[in-house]
Amino acid sequence: MSSQEDESAGGGSEPAEPSSSPSTEIGTTSGDIITVTIGATVPTGFEHTAAEEIKEKIGVDARISKDRGRVFFPITTDKLFQVHLLRSVDNLFVVVEEYHHYQFKESKEETLMELQQLASTLPWTNALEVWKQNGTLKKKKGHRRGGNTAKSKPNCEGVGGSMASTEQQELPQENSAPEGWAGDTQAMETSTQDSDETGHGSKLIKFRVTCNRAGDKHSFSSNEAARDFGGAVQEFFQWKADMTKFDIEVLLNIHNEEVVIGIALTEESLHRRNISHFGPTTLRSTLCYGMLRLCKPQASDIILDPMCGTGAIPLEGAIEFNHSFYVAGDNNDMAVNRTVNNICHIQKRRADKGSMSGLPIDTVQWDLCSLPIRTSSVDIIITDMPFGKRMGSRKKNWDLYPSCLREMARVCRPGSGKAVLLTQDKKCFSKAISRMGGLWRKQHTVWVNVGGLHAGVYLLKRTGAVFGQTPEDVYESRGLTLVFSLV
Amino acid sequence: MKLLTHNMLTSHVKGVTKGYPLLIKATEVKVNEVEFNPQFVSRMIPKLEWSALVQAAEEDLPGELVADYETNEEFLKKVHRILLEVEVLEGCLQCPESGREFPISRGIPNMLLNEDEA
Repeated sequence: MSSQEDESAGGGSEPAEPSSSPSTEIGTTSGDIITVTIGATVPTGFEHTAAEEIKEKIGVDARISKDRGRVFFPITTDKLFQVHLLRSVDNLFVVVEEYHHYQFKESKEETLMELQQLASTLPWTNALEVWKQNGTLKKKKGHRRGGNTAKSKPNCEGVGGSMASTEQQELPQENSAPEGWAGDTQAMETSTQDSDETGHGSKLIKFRVTCNRAGDKHSFSSNEAARDFGGAVQEFFQWKADMTKFDIEVLLNIHNEEVVIGIALTEESLHRRNISHFGPTTLRSTLCYGMLRLCKPQASDIILDPMCGTGAIPLEGAIEFNHSFYVAGDNNDMAVNRTVNNICHIQKRRADKGSMSGLPIDTVQWDLCSLPIRTSSVDIIITDMPFGKRMGSRKKNWDLYPSCLREMARVCRPGSGKAVLLTQDKKCFSKAISRMGGLWRKQHTVWVNVGGLHAGVYLLKRTGAVFGQTPEDVYESRGLTLVFSLV
Repeated sequence: MKLLTHNMLTSHVKGVTKGYPLLIKATEVKVNEVEFNPQFVSRMIPKLEWSALVQAAEEDLPGELVADYETNEEFLKKVHRILLEVEVLEGCLQCPESGREFPISRGIPNMLLNEDEA
């Protein structure tokens, strides 16, 4: 399915004629509890996992949008803080209005004119109220630094001083939030200063519009939509347009006939929350969370990540599924040190908040093809296998994958053991797995997008067979290969 | 390195058949508070090599498990502390058969083998 996609942010054009401001003053506080719809962007492929988490933590049924990577759910304003407990969510927004079958006009001019007219008719009040309450929530929490501001020094002594965080892995982020923007508290102050300067009595709100458009049948670009819609919004509210230091980010999402207008509740994506020390291929925390949920960690499960990189997966596990125990391992010096740095960073953050800082996680340096671990002692293996594009190579994978899978089968408990493996090298992986039917069975696969690459998350079950006794093992260990001859 | 991890680690030097348990030679140890979960501890105990844990712990743990340990909170708290709260930061692990030492630095045991040992 090919569709044109583009995204852009617009700050609004010059108003044609000044029109009267609406009476939707943002200063009004309603003590009433209102129900709104919240939209959340989640890693593609994990929509159902997110819906599960929403059901569990908020107690409502989420709706999965046709636009992949989005889920919607209702919430009452008194429970708003709960949305910030969600770990499977990258970004959150409050829905102003949703159209499931928006009939676009034939010509570009008419379509854009209609979008402009839309601005003044939308039910903004409730959404703005939620945005305001959300702002208060965030101030109370104190601003949480996402991974983008990764200049934090390692908080443990010793090796590896200041790791320059080269964040190379970037997903095609839909809302291109400006990098390194410090947070809404700062923006609030800026806008207050502005209002003093301009001499207005009321606080001057700054905004921008971000438009994401996908579909082949649209006569306009996201740029044009953002610009025209933004202009109308500016005229309606008399807000100031600002591309970088905005208080309110208005979202205009167009996916074929589905149009959603929303207001962002998160300014930085939450996907890098745990990691302060990045490596070249650090996985986003929301993806880690999704993978962990897939394997359903139980109390006292021993969970191994034999190629942990910077430790993103086991660390997310130690925080969110803390009734299990995690062992993070890698052969690379930098990787194990970064993992320990990341763990220390989180522990210090917890200590600062007054909670018990210790986490059920440990780090070991090892060779994954020869794990120094007792046979059948591990319950779950979860890892991000080298893709061969940014790390390792396709040819290396050919040899690596089978040895990896065998060693993982050895340490994994027969019968009850599981593995959740992420890889982009689906061909190599499928081939390697097909030769291990005696040890591993494929149970489920989730297709995801990691840094623009299509990858698979494979959920495997360890068979009941004892290692070293399945037919493949016998042949593999003797170095024999089965040859079929057609007579 | 926590003692729970140590309980799973074994020496895999070529030719070694009795590489478990590794002897701990610690030069720096730290105790870190970890939230106590009785269910975690009682379910973990059957998965452990108990004698190896007794050997590794400096506390006096009973050589054999008592019956009804699942409900003995004091006992579980003791085991919790040993498994999760005590950490070896510096030192080494020694293979009981070959004598090969695996260094521990910053809490990370380095189990990588040289080419001739693999």
